[in-house]
Amino acid sequence: MKNDDAITIDKAPIPRGPYVHARKHGGLVWVTGQIGRDAKTGDFVKGGFEAEFNQAIDNLEEILKASGSGLDRVVRAQIEFVEEKDLEAMNRIYGERFKEPFPARTSFGVAFLWKGAKVQIDCVAAVDD
Amino acid sequence: MTERHSIVSTRGPQPTATYPHAVVEGGYVWATAQAGRDPSNGEMVEGGLEGQLERAISNLEAILADCGSSLDRVVKTMVMVVGDPQESLIDAVFARRFPNLPARTIFGVAFLAAEPGHEAVQIQLDCVASLA
Repeated sequence: MKNDDAITIDKAPIPRGPYVHARKHGGLVWVTGQIGRDAKTGDFVKGGFEAEFNQAIDNLEEILKASGSGLDRVVRAQIEFVEEKDLEAMNRIYGERFKEPFPARTSFGVAFLWKGAKVQIDCVAAVDD
Repeated sequence: MTERHSIVSTRGPQPTATYPHAVVEGGYVWATAQAGRDPSNGEMVEGGLEGQLERAISNLEAILADCGSSLDRVVKTMVMVVGDPQESLIDAVFARRFPNLPARTIFGVAFLAAEPGHEAVQIQLDCVASLA
């Protein structure tokens, strides 16, 4: 595996473990789950679920851009969230941030997310080789 | 390489938010998670977890067919279960429905809320399948 397929940028919260922001392979980019942490401070943004989800998508978008892709090229998105009451907000914000053609999507509730995050999103997107 | 396109199949339950049934890209079909909803009326089927899993797989099967793929070309599936895992039951359905066993990740979730009537959703699964 060529190491230059790995992408880690400073416009998204730096990885706090043994993983990269993304890897490119075979015309696709595989992005690590992003949560609502501010890229500069590393702290969660204030404003609850909606602010966190928007920030997580911002982080995803920066990583995709740096990979030569973008939100409009996401093939599959996966969303995990902790509180069922946030379902409506999740669908609404997702519908605001992603445009047609929408990605395939899988979402589900989890018992907890890392560091107390309320929501996390990862994706696979198309990229030019 | 086939150009990217999205599928909303008439043979799968209609999506309830901004997502298609599947996206075709990079030689693969990327299918949105399916629950045990009847495509004709969107209602959850009877038959508990087994009935729901059978229906969810049938929904995936129809979606894959509309994308030019099939269950025997599923490369990887992810299965999300609420409550009692009922492992042997799930394995029996899988063995019967997937002639070509895929890689599988299965886990318990806190809730499955992505579909209407979600209080009754016990299981959902998605997949990546090859076109070739």
